[in-house]
Amino acid sequence: MRRLSAVSFEAAALGLHAGQKATDALALVPELATAEAEPEADAAALTELVDWCVRFSPAVAADAPDGLFLDVTGVAHLWGGEAAMLADFRTRLAANGLPFRCAIADTPGAAWALVRFGEDGAIAPPGGQGPLLAPLPPAALRLETQTWAQIERLGLRRVGQIMELPRAPFGRRFGQAALTRLDQALGREKEALTFRRPPTPWFARLAFAEPISAPEDMARVTADVAAKLCARLESESHGARRFELCFHRLDGKAMLLSIGLSLPGRDPVRIAKLFAPRLETVDPGFGIEVVTMMAQAVEATSGRQVRLDSLRDAALEDGLAPLVDRLTNRLGPERVWRSVPVESHVPELAAARARPLGAPAAEARAWDARTPRPLRLFRRPEPVEAVIALTPDDPPTQFRWRGQVHRVHRAEGPERIGEEWWKGDIGEASTTHIRDYYRVEDADGGRFWLFRAGLYEDPKIPPKWWLHGLFG
Amino acid sequence: MSDFRAGRLDAVRAKIAAIEAGGRADAGCLPFGDPRIDGCLPGGGLPLGRWHEITGPGMEVETAAAPGAFTALLAAPLALRGEAVWVLRRDDLSAPGLVGLGFPPGRLIQVCVRDEAEALSVMEDALATVGVAAVIGEVEAVDLTAGRRLQLACEKRGATGFLIRRRPFGGQARREAGGSASATRWSVTSAPSELPAGEFGLGAPRFEVGLERSRGGRTGRWLFEASGAYELEAPNLEGKHGTHPLRLVAELADRQLAPALPLHRTAA
Repeated sequence: MRRLSAVSFEAAALGLHAGQKATDALALVPELATAEAEPEADAAALTELVDWCVRFSPAVAADAPDGLFLDVTGVAHLWGGEAAMLADFRTRLAANGLPFRCAIADTPGAAWALVRFGEDGAIAPPGGQGPLLAPLPPAALRLETQTWAQIERLGLRRVGQIMELPRAPFGRRFGQAALTRLDQALGREKEALTFRRPPTPWFARLAFAEPISAPEDMARVTADVAAKLCARLESESHGARRFELCFHRLDGKAMLLSIGLSLPGRDPVRIAKLFAPRLETVDPGFGIEVVTMMAQAVEATSGRQVRLDSLRDAALEDGLAPLVDRLTNRLGPERVWRSVPVESHVPELAAARARPLGAPAAEARAWDARTPRPLRLFRRPEPVEAVIALTPDDPPTQFRWRGQVHRVHRAEGPERIGEEWWKGDIGEASTTHIRDYYRVEDADGGRFWLFRAGLYEDPKIPPKWWLHGLFG
Repeated sequence: MSDFRAGRLDAVRAKIAAIEAGGRADAGCLPFGDPRIDGCLPGGGLPLGRWHEITGPGMEVETAAAPGAFTALLAAPLALRGEAVWVLRRDDLSAPGLVGLGFPPGRLIQVCVRDEAEALSVMEDALATVGVAAVIGEVEAVDLTAGRRLQLACEKRGATGFLIRRRPFGGQARREAGGSASATRWSVTSAPSELPAGEFGLGAPRFEVGLERSRGGRTGRWLFEASGAYELEAPNLEGKHGTHPLRLVAELADRQLAPALPLHRTAA
């Protein structure tokens, strides 16, 4: 059944509401214009808005599908108070053409209730959300639809009435969740929000009197903001593995760049250098007014990271780590790796990709040099044709691969490799997943790794042969 | 007269070596341990601090299996001295396969690049890095400028480059680039293995190797065997330090040049 998922102000004025059946709505308002709901696009737009809100406070949590929480603790004074901050927030949001409602309160629950059911732009004084919440309907407590409908059916039309009820019977009747929501709204219980980026003290911000847009200026402010952040990291002997640089544009867009380091670092020159090639992808638009940099995955690092003129122990920090950083930031982290053993006898699963630097995560048994494995292992085995092999277990004597016929002179095998049946359902294990591997050498000396998929069972359907790798 | 002539020749050779070195420190060489091949290479072994080109005929241009295995064997002793970087365009290099050849994958960083230019620039970057002993790259063609840049990067830290000529699968054959700045060029194919009488299966991998170009040395063709492959826990490394993982089996007859005087050069 098709239902309305959101309505415009005009439609709301005509008596339509979200959740209504589309056919009912069309019967009420025949000239209603509808568009398909796009939840993914809405979520993406909300994420973008959350990113934008970082200019007001580093702690922003999305409240899907249509809200967000901004933790303004300790930042409102930068705008000269909560009222001034809210006013600035409203002007900027209005400039973006977004319909919105906002409120400030002690707790996320109270702010949620005021935004949706109270007066727009309400600011609850510290500790004073109770009286403001009292006249709101029970739905304002962020309860499940069934619960608040039940509460209203019992004649409790105001949150104030619920607050006066004895707690224990209320909790028994409507569940502990309802009680928790009430306590969260009134600040009697804490509530954890999932912030888009966890609030971090490792944050530096530069605001400009005049918006900047020239590439040289952007490079310079990157170096400046990196120096500011790294000076703090340096003074507290910390280093970070990840740096996020954000350019806030005049028109409210935020451009985010991020780089990763393979070892925690705090060298501002190096960090700015890693950002440099990406700066040209940032479109400054009408200008950039604020630039922020955030350090993530901050760890304590010992030792001064000053260039020492000794070459002995400088190899890792001066050589390999910057090389790996340059490569991963340029090509992407999935393109630079070190192979580590995985305890699996399925050939394509026997090696995993690990970060090139740093200790290996888990110590698996190393590969055995005595079981020959090909140097070139194809990601997908390639079919070979015209295989002549004696049943049941002889290696092929001839096969054709990529249009060339190879006559086998020497062969080793079979090495039977079955599926890892203990990982799946026992009922799904079957002999069709068995592979019999043969290492064969053709007349010219080419060494191949062939396998036969499955056993000889039905003489009409012979098992297929595949080439999985080359030894060289 | 012969004494006088030999003395003059030695002096000229030393002079040329000094000019070729261009004032940089000699990074040394890696001897194969067999005079039949070491005599063909300047300095008596595979020159380090230079870059080497490895090709293969026919299908090997696309699969690069035998050239890859040969390069891994050549570079295995270097992986003990520092980090190794393998730059790939197609990520079909298998670490368990390297272990079988005696190359330690724990010292290897693999980099998968998107195109030719990226492969060359990553190689150059890695060669100029402290702590990197060997860089192996799979590249389709390298022109004189790129080759010269690789050489300059090698000279910075004395790292050794190996460039495997490999064409992407199904790619069109490109016209050969004219010259090359590489120190040596090898052409590698697999050769049928030999087994002691009464044994079954495959013998140790054998390679038919042609040294097609050798700066300051001579060319030749040989049959090599990787005698320690797939046998020991860690073949030919720490325990028998100094021996090369490749064993020379035979010198092949179809040499392009008549055998010259045994070449002995003094280190300048």
